[in-house]
Amino acid sequence: MSRHTIAAAAAEDAARLEAETEVAPASDDYSLVPARTLVEPRPVAWFALAPGDRILVAPGDLVGPGTVLAERQRDPRLEDGPPSSGATGTGQPLRPGDWWSGDGHEAAGPLRRRLPRTAAGELLHPAGSRWRMATGDHVDMVETPARGTVRTVTPGRGIEVELAGRGLVGAFAAGLPTSGRLERIAGEAGLRGALDVGRAGAILVVEGRIDSEGIIRARAMGVRGVVVGGLAGKDLRDLLGSEARQRASLQPLAPFAVLVLDGAIRRPLARPMAALAAALDGQQVALLVDPPMLVFDPPESVWPGLPPGWVRIRGGGLAGVEGRWLRGLGLRQFAAGVHLEAAAVALEDGEVAIVPIADLERFT
Amino acid sequence: MTSDHRATFALDLGAATTSAAVIAAVDGRRRLLASTSMPAGIDLDDLLGHLLARLGTADPDLAASLGIAPAGGPMALAGAVATWPRLVARSSPPPELVVLATTAREQHAVARLAGLAGWRTVGGSLEVDGAIELTRLGLTRTCGTIAVAAREPGSRQEAARLTELGALARGVVERTPGVPLVLVGGAARVLGALPVGETGEGPLLAPGPDAGDPPGEPLRRLLLRLDPASGGGRRAMLASAIDLATAFDRRIELVEIGFDGGLRAVVGPGGVEGLPAFLPAAALVPTDLDDIVIDEVLAWSTLALDRHRIGDRLRELRLWPWVEAHGEGALLRLAAARAALERLVRATPEMSALPAPDLIVVAGGAWSAAPGPAIALALADLVRRPGASQLAFDHARLLGPLGTIEDADARLALVGELADDLLTPLGTVIMPQGMRPGRSAGRLVVSGSAGETELELAAGGLRLVDLPPGQVAMADLHFRDPVQLGSRVRQVRIEVAGGLGGLLIDTRDIPLRLPERAERRRALLHSWQAAFWAGLDE
Repeated sequence: MSRHTIAAAAAEDAARLEAETEVAPASDDYSLVPARTLVEPRPVAWFALAPGDRILVAPGDLVGPGTVLAERQRDPRLEDGPPSSGATGTGQPLRPGDWWSGDGHEAAGPLRRRLPRTAAGELLHPAGSRWRMATGDHVDMVETPARGTVRTVTPGRGIEVELAGRGLVGAFAAGLPTSGRLERIAGEAGLRGALDVGRAGAILVVEGRIDSEGIIRARAMGVRGVVVGGLAGKDLRDLLGSEARQRASLQPLAPFAVLVLDGAIRRPLARPMAALAAALDGQQVALLVDPPMLVFDPPESVWPGLPPGWVRIRGGGLAGVEGRWLRGLGLRQFAAGVHLEAAAVALEDGEVAIVPIADLERFT
Repeated sequence: MTSDHRATFALDLGAATTSAAVIAAVDGRRRLLASTSMPAGIDLDDLLGHLLARLGTADPDLAASLGIAPAGGPMALAGAVATWPRLVARSSPPPELVVLATTAREQHAVARLAGLAGWRTVGGSLEVDGAIELTRLGLTRTCGTIAVAAREPGSRQEAARLTELGALARGVVERTPGVPLVLVGGAARVLGALPVGETGEGPLLAPGPDAGDPPGEPLRRLLLRLDPASGGGRRAMLASAIDLATAFDRRIELVEIGFDGGLRAVVGPGGVEGLPAFLPAAALVPTDLDDIVIDEVLAWSTLALDRHRIGDRLRELRLWPWVEAHGEGALLRLAAARAALERLVRATPEMSALPAPDLIVVAGGAWSAAPGPAIALALADLVRRPGASQLAFDHARLLGPLGTIEDADARLALVGELADDLLTPLGTVIMPQGMRPGRSAGRLVVSGSAGETELELAAGGLRLVDLPPGQVAMADLHFRDPVQLGSRVRQVRIEVAGGLGGLLIDTRDIPLRLPERAERRRALLHSWQAAFWAGLDE
């Protein structure tokens, strides 16, 4: 539904409500606007692992940007490990999930025969007289992108780290957790027009156009991450395909992530998000994938603050437009004859729009 | 609320939608006084205050009798919000069952049955995926229960593979204390006696997916009982539907499409016929949105959008389910709901084979913003059996909250009192099968209080007779050749009830066949929909 249609459909209401925009406070019904968390304190990051990955930290450990949490096997394979019974030289009975350091620790077997060599790997389960284990030849490092404390560690499953900063909550993300200095790219030209080698090591907040090709080029130029308002499914799929191909090569790659703040349809960045990005310009930030989040260390002063009654229209023809809540209007008929709870919103350009309350959002 | 007549809130807290209703006694009988639905996540007390304020504005006298008169101001509303009892049905995301099997065949057989019992399933087999991948699946953070499935080993090689799978599963469970282990079929017999985990607790033993009559039913029953918390709201809905069937003394089919799954069950006064199907795959937009789902939605869409744009719109619908419930968004939502209903119907052929029920009740957040007649058409498009059935909609989402009343007698009494309020009549659908194509295949005469309507019947079409809610009429059908309409008939007289969609004579194919070409299919769907959806093109 276009803005024009809304105004035409409710011309009388709009005219009356327009007169109220200067004086009317946000009404109580404002609480019916779906709330969305903008910033979360002390986010908990999840670093997924798989069998064969070697964990290098323990619960309670303090970690900082670049601390290696684990070694990730690129191509894990199944091998026979140490004997499943008898002494193994570790002093303790072996259990699933234990890390087996490889040949040299094994003490079992007939004395006059050479012990079978075993590679290093993660023990999975006993099979017959020996353990089955996951091992491999090439590893990538799993690094934490921000300061924090390791909360839990489960071999083969993942590591939970409580981060010290605060996180700008996104809708979804792809790639691997990463960190870099935040740089903003404003203007319609978007990412393609702003790429150069000087961006290496940066996390780019892009307010204009973006597509998979631009993101792939950015990664090739050493950019560590991209933050966008919306990313189409096709671009996401292309990006994931490219990422998988890159990871399959032997050359180790710096982690790279894309954080999508809103969804699959292009919208301008919400003003509080853009203000936050502006305040963080040039600072070191981190991108998480699980949960999807941009993590930064306070200062508190970066909190943009919001005017009373601020709302953003999330969908429809006015998607991305922001304004000020005037009041709830009860049930109204919208396009296709659908009846929905509606509200009057004073837009920034001075117009008044009548919008379904469910199309609105406010940040908390 | 049990048998007392205090004003009560009925709340259905779904994954995407919060619905609230006010039930109170009026002239000695409990009635539904007000209801509303809003996106999940908004403050519940604010929503209830809003609902009461609206009730006070609409009927100040009634509000005064409830102690929430507008004159009482915000304090009176706050008092009611804080003190009135609440019936709360709460949905939770479906639990995840990880199926670890020796062969892909066993894996898929167990996953299919688990998918009908409310479980979201992932899995793999030693045959295809190998031990490392199976271990990874068993260790995923979302894993709620692990099922180890194998048939009776017929060779030494199969026995060795099963032994290895058992060791693998025990290794996984040792690392993840608290995750239950179920041994299915041959795995139960061969591995059943082995202790699992640090506490040495034994695993749960289950029959194989081919055991029982009909095959798989014992395993499905066990999986239904395994996680009683799953589908809590849907189980409550089922209890209410049985009470409704008792109150009406009718066979009822309940069809629900929600954000996290769907439910299909046929119930009568004696309980559920067969087993209910709780199907996470029948969610409005499944979490693992893939090309197959996008194509299914595309097949029902009247919007001229390509696959990529439909996919993006569906991703948005999954992220923000209430956004743009109007205009094109409403059409997309209805197409997604039809696709979900199609998945539900496809997964439950045994229910489709049952005789047509007296009443089909449709429920769930997927239909929240759709006009009643359009819902009736969607049902007629997909729940297709020869016969005649009334259609109704759980518009205030009361079935779930009412089903949470533990006292069966009190619940039956309340459902009986509210029966007329809790369902919006959508109309009646008459669906003959076996009509021969031709200029005229028969004649219909509808006699009601408003007079007589006569129609010529032809195969392959939809005819609508205006019959408002609350009206009852007699429909006399005369066919040129015998047709299937519950039984084989040439002439039949049926009592039909009105509704928002009126009386629908549906002589299209069973099951429905649509043109292959996208443009022709869209045009046909649009022409049907336009007849049922006032203001569709506004």
